Amino acid sequence: MLQSEDPEVQDAEALSEDELDELLVEEVSIDGMCGVY
Amino acid sequence: MSVTEERVPEAASGFDPSRAWRVHPQIALRDESFGALAYHFGTRRLMFLKSRLLVELVSALDQYESADAAIDAVVPEDERPVYRRALARLAASEVIDVR
Repeated sequence: MLQSEDPEVQDAEALSEDELDELLVEEVSIDGMCGVY
Repeated sequence: MSVTEERVPEAASGFDPSRAWRVHPQIALRDESFGALAYHFGTRRLMFLKSRLLVELVSALDQYESADAAIDAVVPEDERPVYRRALARLAASEVIDVR
Protein backbone atom coordinates (compact mmCIF):
# COMPACT_ATOMS: atom_id res chain seq x y z
CA MET A 1 0.00 0.00 0.00
CA LEU A 2 1.25 3.45 -0.85
CA GLN A 3 1.96 5.76 2.05
CA SER A 4 -0.38 8.72 2.22
CA GLU A 5 0.93 12.24 2.69
CA ASP A 6 -2.07 12.94 4.91
CA PRO A 7 -1.41 11.73 8.48
CA GLU A 8 -5.16 11.76 9.17
CA VAL A 9 -5.59 9.05 6.56
CA GLN A 10 -2.29 7.21 6.88
CA ASP A 11 -3.23 5.13 9.95
CA ALA A 12 -6.85 4.49 8.99
CA GLU A 13 -6.41 0.72 8.85
CA ALA A 14 -5.65 0.58 12.58
CA LEU A 15 -8.71 2.57 13.65
CA SER A 16 -11.98 1.36 15.15
CA GLU A 17 -15.34 2.13 13.52
CA ASP A 18 -15.93 5.06 15.89
CA GLU A 19 -12.44 6.41 15.36
CA LEU A 20 -12.88 6.07 11.61
CA ASP A 21 -16.09 8.11 11.84
CA GLU A 22 -14.22 10.91 13.59
CA LEU A 23 -11.22 10.77 11.28
CA LEU A 24 -12.29 13.37 8.75
CA VAL A 25 -15.58 14.69 10.13
CA GLU A 26 -16.39 15.78 13.66
CA GLU A 27 -19.69 17.25 14.80
CA VAL A 28 -19.79 19.85 17.54
CA SER A 29 -22.88 20.76 19.51
CA ILE A 30 -23.40 24.49 19.95
CA ASP A 31 -26.74 24.22 21.77
CA GLY A 32 -25.18 25.66 24.90
CA MET A 33 -24.13 28.79 23.01
CA CYS A 34 -27.69 29.99 22.30
CA GLY A 35 -27.37 32.90 24.68
CA VAL A 36 -24.12 34.07 23.16
CA TYR A 37 -25.64 35.44 19.97
CA MET B 1 -8.44 -5.10 9.78
CA SER B 2 -8.22 -3.22 6.55
CA VAL B 3 -10.43 -0.40 5.37
CA THR B 4 -12.58 -1.86 2.63
CA GLU B 5 -15.59 -0.86 0.62
CA GLU B 6 -17.67 -3.32 2.67
CA ARG B 7 -17.03 -1.47 5.93
CA VAL B 8 -18.49 1.78 4.64
CA PRO B 9 -22.12 1.94 5.84
CA GLU B 10 -23.46 4.21 3.10
CA ALA B 11 -26.75 2.30 2.90
CA ALA B 12 -27.43 2.77 6.60
CA SER B 13 -26.96 6.53 6.30
CA GLY B 14 -29.02 6.89 3.13
CA PHE B 15 -25.93 7.93 1.20
CA ASP B 16 -25.93 6.65 -2.37
CA PRO B 17 -22.57 7.49 -4.00
CA SER B 18 -23.97 6.71 -7.45
CA ARG B 19 -26.22 9.80 -7.23
CA ALA B 20 -25.32 13.45 -7.82
CA TRP B 21 -24.66 15.42 -4.62
CA ARG B 22 -23.98 19.03 -3.70
CA VAL B 23 -23.26 21.13 -0.66
CA HIS B 24 -26.58 21.66 1.10
CA PRO B 25 -27.95 25.16 0.36
CA GLN B 26 -28.21 25.93 4.07
CA ILE B 27 -24.53 25.12 4.69
CA ALA B 28 -21.85 27.78 5.04
CA LEU B 29 -18.29 26.52 4.59
CA ARG B 30 -15.41 28.48 6.08
CA ASP B 31 -11.88 27.51 5.15
CA GLU B 32 -9.56 26.79 8.06
CA SER B 33 -5.97 25.61 8.26
CA PHE B 34 -7.11 22.10 9.23
CA GLY B 35 -9.82 21.93 6.55
CA ALA B 36 -13.09 23.79 7.02
CA LEU B 37 -15.95 24.55 9.36
CA ALA B 38 -19.42 23.72 8.06
CA TYR B 39 -22.38 25.42 9.73
CA HIS B 40 -25.93 24.36 8.94
CA PHE B 41 -28.34 27.28 9.31
CA GLY B 42 -31.32 24.91 9.49
CA THR B 43 -30.16 22.36 12.04
CA ARG B 44 -27.65 24.74 13.72
CA ARG B 45 -25.08 21.96 13.62
CA LEU B 46 -21.39 22.73 13.34
CA MET B 47 -19.09 20.20 11.67
CA PHE B 48 -15.33 20.12 11.40
CA LEU B 49 -14.06 18.87 8.04
CA LYS B 50 -10.60 17.81 9.13
CA SER B 51 -8.88 17.47 5.77
CA ARG B 52 -8.17 19.94 2.99
CA LEU B 53 -8.78 17.14 0.51
CA LEU B 54 -12.23 16.50 2.00
CA VAL B 55 -13.06 20.20 1.58
CA GLU B 56 -11.88 20.02 -2.03
CA LEU B 57 -14.01 16.92 -2.59
CA VAL B 58 -17.14 18.39 -1.01
CA SER B 59 -16.73 21.65 -2.93
CA ALA B 60 -16.32 19.74 -6.21
CA LEU B 61 -19.37 17.47 -5.79
CA ASP B 62 -21.64 19.67 -7.93
CA GLN B 63 -19.23 19.35 -10.86
CA TYR B 64 -19.70 15.57 -11.18
CA GLU B 65 -22.60 13.33 -12.10
CA SER B 66 -22.11 11.22 -8.98
CA ALA B 67 -20.26 11.25 -5.67
CA ASP B 68 -18.27 8.26 -6.89
CA ALA B 69 -17.13 10.21 -9.94
CA ALA B 70 -16.04 13.11 -7.72
CA ILE B 71 -14.18 10.75 -5.39
CA ASP B 72 -12.43 9.06 -8.33
CA ALA B 73 -11.37 12.44 -9.71
CA VAL B 74 -10.22 14.06 -6.47
CA VAL B 75 -9.11 11.35 -4.01
CA PRO B 76 -6.13 9.00 -4.39
CA GLU B 77 -7.27 5.40 -4.88
CA ASP B 78 -6.04 4.01 -1.55
CA GLU B 79 -7.85 6.74 0.40
CA ARG B 80 -11.22 6.52 -1.33
CA PRO B 81 -13.01 4.25 1.20
CA VAL B 82 -12.26 6.68 4.04
CA TYR B 83 -13.48 9.66 2.04
CA ARG B 84 -16.58 7.79 0.87
CA ARG B 85 -17.34 7.11 4.53
CA ALA B 86 -16.81 10.79 5.33
CA LEU B 87 -19.30 11.78 2.62
CA ALA B 88 -21.82 9.33 4.09
CA ARG B 89 -21.39 11.03 7.46
CA LEU B 90 -21.82 14.46 5.87
CA ALA B 91 -24.97 13.26 4.09
CA ALA B 92 -26.41 11.98 7.37
CA SER B 93 -25.77 15.42 8.90
CA GLU B 94 -27.25 17.24 5.88
CA VAL B 95 -23.98 18.96 5.02
CA ILE B 96 -24.44 17.54 1.53
CA ASP B 97 -27.66 16.56 -0.19
CA VAL B 98 -28.85 15.02 -3.46
CA ARG B 99 -29.14 17.42 -6.40
